[in-house]
Amino acid sequence: MSENLLAKARNVVAVTRAKGADGTRVSISRNRTSRVEWRDTDLDRIRESTTMSLSVNLYVGGRYSAHNTSDLRPEALESFIANAIAMTRLLAPDPHRNLPDPARYAGRFQGDLGIDDPTGAASLDGAQRRRRAQGLVEAARSAPGADRIVSASGSWGDVAYESAMVTSNGMEAAEGGTAFFCSSVVTVRDEDDRRPRDYGSTSALFLNQLESLEEVGRTATRRALARLGARPIKTGSYPCVIENRVAGQTIGNLISPLSGGRIQQQRSCMADKLGTQIGSPLLTITDDPHLKGGFSSGSFDGEGMATRRRPIFESGVLKNFYLDTYYASKLGQEPTTGSATNLVFPAAARDLTGLLKAMGTGILITDFRGGNSNDATGDFSTGVSGHWVENGELVRPIAEMNLAGNHVTLWKLLAELGNDPYPYSSTRVPSLRFTELQFSGV
Amino acid sequence: MQPNLNRRDFLRWVGAGTAMISLPAVFGCRSGTALGVAGHGSGAHATYFDRFGVSEPVLGRVLAQALARGGDFADIYLQHTLSRTTGMQDGQVNRAFGSVDLGAGIRVLKGDATGFAYCEDLSEQALLAAAGTAAAVADGAPAAQPRSLAAVKIADFYRIEVPWSTIGIDRIVPIIERADREVRRQDARITKVGISVADEDTHILLANSEGRLVEDIRPMVLMVISCSARDGERIESSGDAISGRQGLELLSDANVDELVQEVVAQTVGGFEAVEAPSGDMPVVLAGGIAGVLLHEAIGHGMEADFNRKGTSIYADRIGQRIAGRDVTIIDDGTLPALRGSLNVDDEGAATQRTVLVENGILRSYMHDRISARHYQVAPTGSGRRQSFRFPPVPRMRTTYMISGPHDPQEIIASVKRGIYARVIGNGEVNIGAGDFSFYLIQGRLIENGKLTGLIKDVNLTGRGPQVLEAMDLIGNNMTLKTGGGSCGKDGQFVPVGFGMPTVRAGGISVGGRTA
Repeated sequence: MSENLLAKARNVVAVTRAKGADGTRVSISRNRTSRVEWRDTDLDRIRESTTMSLSVNLYVGGRYSAHNTSDLRPEALESFIANAIAMTRLLAPDPHRNLPDPARYAGRFQGDLGIDDPTGAASLDGAQRRRRAQGLVEAARSAPGADRIVSASGSWGDVAYESAMVTSNGMEAAEGGTAFFCSSVVTVRDEDDRRPRDYGSTSALFLNQLESLEEVGRTATRRALARLGARPIKTGSYPCVIENRVAGQTIGNLISPLSGGRIQQQRSCMADKLGTQIGSPLLTITDDPHLKGGFSSGSFDGEGMATRRRPIFESGVLKNFYLDTYYASKLGQEPTTGSATNLVFPAAARDLTGLLKAMGTGILITDFRGGNSNDATGDFSTGVSGHWVENGELVRPIAEMNLAGNHVTLWKLLAELGNDPYPYSSTRVPSLRFTELQFSGV
Repeated sequence: MQPNLNRRDFLRWVGAGTAMISLPAVFGCRSGTALGVAGHGSGAHATYFDRFGVSEPVLGRVLAQALARGGDFADIYLQHTLSRTTGMQDGQVNRAFGSVDLGAGIRVLKGDATGFAYCEDLSEQALLAAAGTAAAVADGAPAAQPRSLAAVKIADFYRIEVPWSTIGIDRIVPIIERADREVRRQDARITKVGISVADEDTHILLANSEGRLVEDIRPMVLMVISCSARDGERIESSGDAISGRQGLELLSDANVDELVQEVVAQTVGGFEAVEAPSGDMPVVLAGGIAGVLLHEAIGHGMEADFNRKGTSIYADRIGQRIAGRDVTIIDDGTLPALRGSLNVDDEGAATQRTVLVENGILRSYMHDRISARHYQVAPTGSGRRQSFRFPPVPRMRTTYMISGPHDPQEIIASVKRGIYARVIGNGEVNIGAGDFSFYLIQGRLIENGKLTGLIKDVNLTGRGPQVLEAMDLIGNNMTLKTGGGSCGKDGQFVPVGFGMPTVRAGGISVGGRTA
């Protein structure tokens, strides 16, 4: 199948060259997706699709544009490319727009990325997907306290994809993969007629690596019940633990100012911080595109450059930016790669319970609501909910509060990493303990 | 841009059912190209069959196939979108992103359950296969036959004279170059300017098993300006947008200049910012974009799917008082040329002005076909979808509060210590628990009834029903915001609008960085 996509991509490159492009990068991808949602006693939705799309990056007379289309009829494709090239000629030239140096395509990772499970994908049919979605609801409804459930739903999804990339300066690659996902969402009702909700979920690139669906459903019910009666507490500065499954958002806000576009456009609080101490010695983050079974694993990046493992932070020191070919050229630096892949953290000793014990009294954040982070200044402020903790034990749920700080100073307050890297995201962040952060409530 | 489904997107879809809105980033992922487009007429004749390469008999056979296993209802939504983004950085209009999106979504309803499939190949064979997939939501013998199709004449809230797909990029470049000069002229501290113009023509053709055949052309344009400035060691950056279902006229000098002034004021204003306070205090919402609060605090809770499932904090509260007598909240798809407006919703139902709250009393949910049938009421024209790749669900259009009796100055003067929320960036709500957030990009302190120090980058949070009850002074200055808001729910984004008079509210916690 991938050979087929490669042949199509080669053909599109040839068409663009024939119509006047000096350089081209073509990507074609095909996906098959199935989803089933079950709600309470009934099937709620089924969705299926098989879809193909084409994207083309054009370099024409020192000018650049990018295009994509889902209209792959041959006659439509010819005029699509002709129009795209004509449009490119109307733009101003840009000396920094170039395909990557072909040397950067070489040396692709040859090991097993653990991202493709065709056997698992082929083993599923419609009836099995429904049974799994329904099973999630039944598991949620069989958990202790299920009589307070207003609504429980279960969602199953799986996807199989393949993609091919061909450039006019010698890059050719194809990659395929699978992913399996399920979640259960439970809504419960409290005395005030508030209806808090929480979820359980699991996902993996191999079918047999999913957590048990029973556990996912029961987690949803347990967590939703734990939200009953949540209230804000007094505004103040408190020790804090951020649970692994939501800590990825905090990490995302730290990583965002490291992109070449942000730095070159002077929208980054990290622009002059390479090689400097940003965090406590515990802050070590590695970008690992070759992580087996990682949700962002791959042997080539969005420009076709061979991926490499890179330190981003090492013992608190900022080691690398995310620089694609374009912004690296503008900044006069060597490219790395344009965006984050899998982010991995060092091993640690204690689990979440151990982190709470070490904290003693403070706040466990289990969810973020809205909020934002200003990449130019590092200032962030976001809604949070979670639990008030005393002597390492959850005392009562809290909600309708904010957490605020600044990413240039926040990470110096990082006091401990948990031993629980979150397995269902490309950001494999553990639970994080901070000495003291600013919260607003009542 | 088409959701080029990779593993990470797939995982992001799931996010357990919260709803949020966001304003576009510069050079966001909307994109487009100008293809030559055949002319089209308007009126009650179906004119787009050629565009999609289908015919009425083909649609009839596809709908029959969709109902072949006992579904109650079926529809097919064909979409052709040509979109284009023209962008400038470092003083050069040197990038463009084009997109062609063509495909069909086929939906079958059986009771409250939905079967859905889509395809990009519009051959009869591919459409029949997708119809067969969607039909599997039912599992019996055919119960209904599709009726013969009749084209329906629809409203015309956003007619434009010259479609975007006939306008060359050479018409857009000078507008961007002029805006760049205007931004740089405003303040010597400005170091970087980013500008993009995204334009789009969408044609849809929708046919359902009740015989309804609807066509619509949906133009859209969005201009985003952002800039960075340096003052000594400090860097500040901000951005804002204008948008509408309009043609080039949206990008008039006057409109662009207004956007330029706003972006520059936001950016260099940052240099004089003081620390925002923390804790519960009165919040005066400025008119306009502060309507994001309505969208989050009550709007999502009034989308009927959440109520049908019993998961909204407003479930079973129709007819009850939820706010003061001066509070009337509307969700409206009929306002001319606005980003959130629609001639018909994405199920082919006429759009409307829906009164959600009237003088403090909860009046109506926003319905799609499934929920209207569930509640046995007329649809409100609120069934929307991001594209043919998604089934429709109840969504907002332009949500606003109508003006009340108070002078805005009097409202500000009434607050001893609080904050004035002028520019809002994004928000999110937990629909069942009612807690919501909205992010203040820029505002002012209120001290002894006067606007004082500038504050920025603080999140505001509260519980929707409490905040609504606490809205006690409603200004006489309702303003619609024409920015580039999009609302995300169920993994799909749709364009929306906001409106608000100046309002005093309480029960809100302000998330500053100092105690």
